[in-house]
Amino acid sequence: MSTKDDELLKELALEEYKYGFTTDIEMDIAPKGLSEDTVRLISAKKNEPEWLLEWRLKALRHFQQMQMPTWQNFEHPDVDFQDISYYAAPKTKPKLDSMDEVDPELLSTFAKLGIPLDEQKILAGVVAVDAVFDSVSVKTTFREKLKEQGVIFCSFGEAVQEHPELVKQYLGSVVPQTDNIYAALNSAVFSDGSFVYIPKGVRCPMELSTYFRINAENTGQFERTLIIADEEAYVSYLEGCTAPMRDENQLHAAVVELIALKDAEIKYSTVQNWYPGDKDGKGGIYNFVTKRGMCKGDNSKISWTQVETGSAITWKYPGVILKGDHSVGEFYSVALTRNKQLADTGTKMIHLGKNTRSKIVSKGISAGLSHNSYRGLVKIGPGAENSRNFTQCDSLLIGDRCGAHTFPYIESRNKTAKLEHEATTSKIGEDQLFYLTQRGIDPEKAVGLIVNGYAKEVLNQLPMEFAVEAQKLLAISLEGSVG
Amino acid sequence: MLDEVATDIMITQVSDSLYTQLIKTYGGNLPSSEPHSLDEIRKQAFERFKSTGFPTVKQEDWKYTNVQPLVNRQHYALDTETLSAAIAIDKAIIPGLDAYRVVMVDGKYNADLSTAKDIPGLSVMPIDQAFERLCFAKYFSEYADKTDNPFVALNTALFTSGLFIEVGKNCQLQKPVHVIHVASASKPSFTQVRNLYVMSTFAEAEIIESFITNEGAAHSLNNTVSEIVVRENAKLQHYYLQVAGSQGNYLNHTEVYQEKHSLYNNYNCSFPGAAFIRNNINVRLGDSEVESHLYGVTLTADNQLVDNHTIVDHRKPHCESYEWYKNITQDTSTAVFNGKIFVRPDAQKTNAFQQNNNMLIGEKSAVYTKPQLEIFADDVKCSHGCTIGQFDNEALFYLQARGISEAQARVLLVHAFAFDVTSRFANAIVREYVEHLVEQGLKAG
Repeated sequence: MSTKDDELLKELALEEYKYGFTTDIEMDIAPKGLSEDTVRLISAKKNEPEWLLEWRLKALRHFQQMQMPTWQNFEHPDVDFQDISYYAAPKTKPKLDSMDEVDPELLSTFAKLGIPLDEQKILAGVVAVDAVFDSVSVKTTFREKLKEQGVIFCSFGEAVQEHPELVKQYLGSVVPQTDNIYAALNSAVFSDGSFVYIPKGVRCPMELSTYFRINAENTGQFERTLIIADEEAYVSYLEGCTAPMRDENQLHAAVVELIALKDAEIKYSTVQNWYPGDKDGKGGIYNFVTKRGMCKGDNSKISWTQVETGSAITWKYPGVILKGDHSVGEFYSVALTRNKQLADTGTKMIHLGKNTRSKIVSKGISAGLSHNSYRGLVKIGPGAENSRNFTQCDSLLIGDRCGAHTFPYIESRNKTAKLEHEATTSKIGEDQLFYLTQRGIDPEKAVGLIVNGYAKEVLNQLPMEFAVEAQKLLAISLEGSVG
Repeated sequence: MLDEVATDIMITQVSDSLYTQLIKTYGGNLPSSEPHSLDEIRKQAFERFKSTGFPTVKQEDWKYTNVQPLVNRQHYALDTETLSAAIAIDKAIIPGLDAYRVVMVDGKYNADLSTAKDIPGLSVMPIDQAFERLCFAKYFSEYADKTDNPFVALNTALFTSGLFIEVGKNCQLQKPVHVIHVASASKPSFTQVRNLYVMSTFAEAEIIESFITNEGAAHSLNNTVSEIVVRENAKLQHYYLQVAGSQGNYLNHTEVYQEKHSLYNNYNCSFPGAAFIRNNINVRLGDSEVESHLYGVTLTADNQLVDNHTIVDHRKPHCESYEWYKNITQDTSTAVFNGKIFVRPDAQKTNAFQQNNNMLIGEKSAVYTKPQLEIFADDVKCSHGCTIGQFDNEALFYLQARGISEAQARVLLVHAFAFDVTSRFANAIVREYVEHLVEQGLKAG
């Protein structure tokens, strides 16, 4: 590498994380430690029914018996589960009726993040937001408007109170408590999250969105999202997240469950921008998330789109269980790692129904000293007649000290299934760079252009507003990286 | 629930029996001519094996391949003897092939049946006669034991026999060396064979290894480790032709180390027969300007399991590797492919390619494939591809519409499917032989 490249890389490493501020607000934080008492405390704070407490306790007992896995492609950090506080909430009145009652500190925090919570200030009818601050949901906008159509969009806590039958029916039906160690932990201590129910035949009139913010120190964030699309319903859901800059690592272990009934479609998009740690790999969020969707009914469709630029370690495999006949699963991902970030991410497509189809497009970009792994499972069950999978995973390397890894698992047990997988690893073509610079585009912008072009197939899947943000995010994260 | 517990205990006990059986033999019937340096290597390997034991499906490398039923068999004979007269090697004969022949019966070199003697530049001998050789001390256990395969550790600790081949400097062998491995024991047996092949600088050779089962042989489990060193500018064409009977079970670990400007080609072919085959083929590209090709054709039938694990390890810049494996599964058989390409930080300008295509024909057969890339250098060209499919109905129809019977059309299509790989065989006679075996192994319907 030339010295110029080195300088540019250095610049890239120094690029600041612009959401790194903290909010000074009075918090109600549970004492550190994990035990039955912790779970009881959280459950009591949320005023939960008995069955949910039992459900949590069962998960806790599983968690206590489970071992940390060792197959992942990174050194699993020592997480002291007793040194984390499992509940942190801003001290406000228990129920918010209007905007005036929201702590102004909080409002300004979300305004700074570019998430206005005041409905008046949002262009009418664009996006409805559920804002989650540490452990609790602060505000859900446009609830009334959605209610007219029968759409339920509220915090998880409220859903437990108001729609217990739906929660009870679907909670844990896609990601069981025993699924993995972090799912078990989440099931035991989840504090809040979003709940969406789209009734039969309704096309949700606006994009729904959750914004997650970790603020408090030494806490973990464990939210739970449950989205149910009833027959013939459609919903597009967005998720965004940020956290302050801190030297310690913080744990984020969420669970997302999607259920699509007959002819329903769910589109789930994530722009993940948790604090990635500084250039020496100090601090940052451990993003260990379990996301899974179930195409329960025939002709249903679930699509995951993710743009991952943050977190010290990203470890997640949003998957789809294609149970209904003719159901479709999609996964589009751009994962960018730099400095000392680590990502081990990909998807799982489990084909069970007949004529099921899945498509996977994964684009990994690694820069600096980071390592980016794609790990994906495509499994064809014996009954999945005529199912079809296409997988493409490409890796782009920027700099000579980073790594790109591909671990696809492809399992077929049906002779009528067709599967394709292809992967490439390369660096940014010097001819492409030369072409652009020769036309007067500076190298930095040229790299941005090439990377955006490279990721376009995925970015195109994002809803408009998010696509613009994601493009900017990629450009910022890549600033100065010429390979 | 109770039943589960009961079988669990039983399994542990039975598995303990082979385990303890092996532990008891340690230091027992080992070749007496062993140098002291080997003692230490064996001891360390034995400790390694004791600490891991036999692998289970919980281990990533053995996820689809369960060795427990094999190692849990009640009793294995660890040392067997069969008379040369009772050995038939005709099953391994490749029509039209003129080769130096080496016959290994249950892992032991058989002088009566072998013809590879007194050939200038070629040394072939049982491994225990090679202990004093310079290159033995230099290369033995140098590479294979760095992997964490418990069967390699077990083999190092307890191997009793094997084959040593050295092709001398500048020697270009006129004929291929055909090594025939015969499993013949009439009692269930467990053999541990250790081979070391050294290609000296500028040497060129072709080694063809066939695996067969003798008439009347009992169930056997063969744990073979082959270490191969291809020195500077040397070239080795290496064939594995697995045609053993259903009593045969094979754990075959091949560790190749390549020096500068060398070429190593491996052609790994498995056919219906042996119930269990696990191949580990690891190629270490230890210096720059090295080229390696790994080709595989696997045709499975009945209840067979064939598991091919390969590692291509690019350690130095300007190397090229090319890997292509084709699997065809029939009946209730299972094929596993696990390919890994490593490109280490130093290995700039690497060109690595890996492809795995599968034809899943059997109603209840399964394919598990894991083509993996681990890249630590940026100026490289690496790609892999993988497909799983079956007969193309349109192609079948096309052929039938032209008066070709369905069975014949299927043979043609499988032939075409395997062609990508078979067409790369360096030896035309072996290629023809393999194509014939594919045709033969393909069942009608």
